[in-house]
Amino acid sequence: MFVTVTANSRYDSLSGEGEKAMLNTQLKMTQTQQALYALDTYKPLARGLRKNGCEEGNQLWLHVHLPQFSLDILTCGNSNKEACVLVEGQGTGSKIVQANSHAARLGVRLGMSLSAAKILGNLTVLSRNERAESLTLERLCAWAYQFTPIISATPPDGLLLEIKSSLKLFGGIEGLLTQVRRGLRDLGHKAVIAVAPTPAAATVLARAERQCVILSEQELPKALGPLPLEALRLDPKQLAVLKSIGARLIEDCLRLPRGGLGRRTAPKLIENFSQLLGQSPDPRQRFSLPKLFQSQIEIPWETSNAQSLGIAGGRLLHELTGYLRSCSAVTRRLRWSLNYTAGHSSHFQLELAQPSRDYDHFALLLRERLSRIQLEGKVKGMALYVDDVSPDQVVAERDLFKQRSVGGNEDWPSFLDRLRARLGEQVVKGLQQVADHRPECAWRWSDIPSNPNTSTPTTGSPAKVPARPLWLMRHPIRLHKEKGHLDINGPLRFVSERERIETGWWDGEPVRRDYFVATNPCGERLWIYRELAGGKDWYLHGIFE
Amino acid sequence: MSPVQNKSHESLEALLRHEKIWRAGEASLLAGIPTHFPVLDSLLPNHGWPQASLIEILTAQEGIGALRLMLPAIAQLTQTQWAIWVCPPHVPYAPALQAAGVVLERLLIVEPDTSEQMDLNYVLWVFEQALRFVDCGIAMAWIGTAQYDRLRRLQLACEQGQTCGVMFRPESFAIQPSPAVLRLSLTGNADSTSIRILKSQGGVRNRNCQLAL
Repeated sequence: MFVTVTANSRYDSLSGEGEKAMLNTQLKMTQTQQALYALDTYKPLARGLRKNGCEEGNQLWLHVHLPQFSLDILTCGNSNKEACVLVEGQGTGSKIVQANSHAARLGVRLGMSLSAAKILGNLTVLSRNERAESLTLERLCAWAYQFTPIISATPPDGLLLEIKSSLKLFGGIEGLLTQVRRGLRDLGHKAVIAVAPTPAAATVLARAERQCVILSEQELPKALGPLPLEALRLDPKQLAVLKSIGARLIEDCLRLPRGGLGRRTAPKLIENFSQLLGQSPDPRQRFSLPKLFQSQIEIPWETSNAQSLGIAGGRLLHELTGYLRSCSAVTRRLRWSLNYTAGHSSHFQLELAQPSRDYDHFALLLRERLSRIQLEGKVKGMALYVDDVSPDQVVAERDLFKQRSVGGNEDWPSFLDRLRARLGEQVVKGLQQVADHRPECAWRWSDIPSNPNTSTPTTGSPAKVPARPLWLMRHPIRLHKEKGHLDINGPLRFVSERERIETGWWDGEPVRRDYFVATNPCGERLWIYRELAGGKDWYLHGIFE
Repeated sequence: MSPVQNKSHESLEALLRHEKIWRAGEASLLAGIPTHFPVLDSLLPNHGWPQASLIEILTAQEGIGALRLMLPAIAQLTQTQWAIWVCPPHVPYAPALQAAGVVLERLLIVEPDTSEQMDLNYVLWVFEQALRFVDCGIAMAWIGTAQYDRLRRLQLACEQGQTCGVMFRPESFAIQPSPAVLRLSLTGNADSTSIRILKSQGGVRNRNCQLAL
């Protein structure tokens, strides 16, 4: 017989009382209801759940298992059609541990020796990058923060999400699963997802590639029973002991008396089984969100093609937007680095006119920027770093009350961002008047207001000012006298009074000039001046265009 | 006229009344943007610059008022919309623009630091984006040689974005065909500027006028 330990306190290690009370009111079900559903048939259950009430279970765990995690990391950013395999071990003993779908189509099976697999076709052989795996897993946790605040990484290739409190927000379990699936696909991961009332059970089911949703603890033995013992990922010694007494499946072990089993193997094993069925607490280390976003991607097929960089960058942007959604934040500066095969790297950044976390907008800006970037060689990696993260009140306002002209499909900040990304930050500018009598100081370039409606347009100056030309020369052009006359396409004739400008002695750039408006026989109206100091030379300073 | 002939005549008339069919000599239905030069207004169909169209202004030299011709329209349009300047040949002088009533806060100037960047493809790309942008009221570019189909794209962009597009070009391009809705040629005299209308969709009352710009 089992020694049944009911542990109501297990949730306390993870969350506060308030949350727990809230959880108890959500998602209730009858004990008699069928609890194990294949993914495509769980809809009627989810509907029934909201109607019927029962105090069963206060936790629901979702395990995301990534069967090709190592391979996904090594091949990401590349949508090629090559057959890739991941090997473990050295020399002739190397065995295939992961293979992508192209390799599987060739007939490659897991556990095959590499030399045997190579006969089947042309394979790209890769080996694991464990550091990249742990970093990516951490980023996946940050990404998953948008679904629930209770996340735990299960290295090397999975993560656990406590989803009970999130079900209502995402429209029930089906809505949540759809969103998780879509997100993982965008990030380029193949995933197996299982849902169960205990974290250990969810993990075991997902690792055994059973895509199922189990909502009641009573149904756990039935669901877990037919799985082989290997699915538990036990210590090899304990596994050997269990096999030696004839246990092949989990249900074989569950049938055994626990006291005796514990004495023959280890008390830890009994604990494992209790946790699996929700009979003893199973505390998990909770993931906490980092303060800034930093992610990088390796491009194993080094490229100098801006388009494939765009695809790799898209992955990073999906991670970033997931992270920003997780912390309800927006950003206005994305810092990018490109790592070249030669070892050096180059940097650029995308500045936004208005903070955002819109993936499509980010991706468009990145594409525009990459189209004009000069690559310094083949790129082997890309990194994205975002530290300018702010709460998203601004973006909420913008999304709800977006001001657009009739028939318009782009707003002003997006248009401005697109121009800047393609042309450069400094190339797009505004114009401003400055109160200064020196003509060259009476204006300057200015920033463009990202929201013109907030700035009040200045009205035209009412004071009577002498005529000013529409074009100002970037640098005054020195004029030469011909036969004693000033000449530009013909002799010049003065048509205005002299205007003396003598100022600026206080800041080291004094101006002492006499300005005239002059015309030539072609009808051109020009703004010229004569230096009162020095050589008393004549200059062309503007054109009355 | 036989009844059969009469009937086919009626159906032809009905076809010609279709809104998608435009006949030379008919002006577009959109009201013009006033030029604020009464003489010019009286010549142009709809009494002003055509809306959502490409306008081409050809001049042999600078300084005879090509920009001043557009200035009242720019001042009017910047009250509510953006005016985008694509690679102007000189610095647009803020005090003069302000004095003419232009809202400086609604000007956007695209000016690369180096002149190598200002090649034709660059200018045309920016110009087209500006024209397609709905909140842009008027976009101006200074364009030399350009193929007919590239200019045709600009005209379509004007229609799509409901933007007034103005191309300033050298006089030498007057002999080349252009998809612009309105083409003006400006010549400077000692005390005034002669305007000749080379092309105007919707007809023109008189081809020549003199303005003191």
